[in-house]
Amino acid sequence: MKPSIQPFGENAVLVSWEAIIDETIHNRVLALERRITEKHPNEVLETVYSYHSLAVYLKQGIPSKSFIPSIETALASLDATKPADKNHLITIPVCYEGKYALDIEDVARYHSISLEEVIRLHSQPIYKVYFLGFLPGFPYLGGLPEVLHTPRRDSPKSRVKKGSVGIGGNQTGIYPMDSPGGWNLIGSSPLAFFDPKRKPPSTIAPGDFIQFEPITQEEYEHTKTLVENGIYLLHKTPYHD
Amino acid sequence: MIKVLTSGLHTSIQDLGRFGFRKYGVPVSGAMDLFSAELANRLVGNPAHEAVMEITLQGPILQFDCHARVALTGADLSPTVNNKAVSMNKDFMVKSGSILRFGAPNYGARCYLAIAGGIDSEEHLGSASFCHGISPKSQLVKGDAIRLRSQNPLDAISHASVKIEPEHFTSSLLKVYPGPEYHLLSKEHQKRWESLSFQVDPNSNRMAYLLRTEEPLFAPEILSAPVQPGTVQLTPSGKFVVLMRDAQTTGGYARILQLSDKAMNQLAQKHPLEEVRFGFIDN
Repeated sequence: MKPSIQPFGENAVLVSWEAIIDETIHNRVLALERRITEKHPNEVLETVYSYHSLAVYLKQGIPSKSFIPSIETALASLDATKPADKNHLITIPVCYEGKYALDIEDVARYHSISLEEVIRLHSQPIYKVYFLGFLPGFPYLGGLPEVLHTPRRDSPKSRVKKGSVGIGGNQTGIYPMDSPGGWNLIGSSPLAFFDPKRKPPSTIAPGDFIQFEPITQEEYEHTKTLVENGIYLLHKTPYHD
Repeated sequence: MIKVLTSGLHTSIQDLGRFGFRKYGVPVSGAMDLFSAELANRLVGNPAHEAVMEITLQGPILQFDCHARVALTGADLSPTVNNKAVSMNKDFMVKSGSILRFGAPNYGARCYLAIAGGIDSEEHLGSASFCHGISPKSQLVKGDAIRLRSQNPLDAISHASVKIEPEHFTSSLLKVYPGPEYHLLSKEHQKRWESLSFQVDPNSNRMAYLLRTEEPLFAPEILSAPVQPGTVQLTPSGKFVVLMRDAQTTGGYARILQLSDKAMNQLAQKHPLEEVRFGFIDN
């Protein structure tokens, strides 16, 4: 479980554990991130992390190599650190019907199961948000049931609409803004996931947990109106896994 | 006010970048050639973080509705005011009613226009830098108006000028550090990659520069991990991708090299089809 620590260009240090999607490893990434940002506000500019690695971007004038000892010290005392405790479970309403679910029939056919079964399997688990990347606010989620793993589409769509919920390989995620994309679109959420005017700009934060809640097309339209008028109340509760 | 009469190839407002939001997947953005952008601000007495106009290869036509003390740095795109040539790397006065336009590129790809007192530009997530999905627009378009933050008196010229090392634009050698997946290069290529020559693909932009090489180089995909401007990715199909300022924050391709800060600025000044090479930085 000992990670590698290396300079990442002139002003950053990269800490990498074994390259697997694993809760224990990810909890250590989060714990180190918290420890480093709390202990070194004068040196750390910001951080980016993924399933198994943490990039610590340093302020101007702080050479990468000079910060490595601080990371080693933080790692040595990390065992006692508990996993994050201020996480939330967020309910994400998703319409899995009609024009909101362009590729759901393909997914059902691929696995020889019914549409209802796809919806049930996708909306049952509690997914962990490992990190955000690819697009502003795009969540990398862990926990997609293996029976729903579906290869990316042969030809990517040039415009996937914002709010689209897709499956690509062993991952599922939500497009927070219009973008080209190759995932199978099985539903759409009326929520706004990224707004640069909000603080923080992303509805979902790394370390959160989310669950999808199936809604009808009428409920989608209704919720969308509430969201657009700024009166939608996000269902968000404290959560431990 | 400065009116954009024509937009040019890709003209945007940039500062030093957008920090503190990368963990939400927000690109850093900022001037592609930070060295030249900071220099432009210095020449007109602005702080380094002031927003400047980034002008790419084919410049815009700008009409000044007020006096402005300005400086142009970076690429020499044959700038003229009312059809009279103006100097690079030196502050000068543009009188109200004048037209600033650009011609053929003499050297470099990105020119920076700084205005004394700064541009009155809207900030999004703490930065004035244009970026797709973050700011309302990703480039200036015909009809846009740029407001200045303060009035520029006519007699304010400092006549400060600086001499630029030509190698900032002419050197084809980009100094790099080994990246986290350098070891995924074949042993053979680890020995020889410094002698390979690369050509800038015309599809290069603010997100990434694509490089072509005759030698086939490959690396397997990796589990998604942090990337930053200057990260050199190698794809399983042999594409060589250098991430630039508007790059995403995580990626799934092998990170074989990391450009030095200086090399980032130099690469930003390369034209399509120009040749570049890489070499390890001496420690």
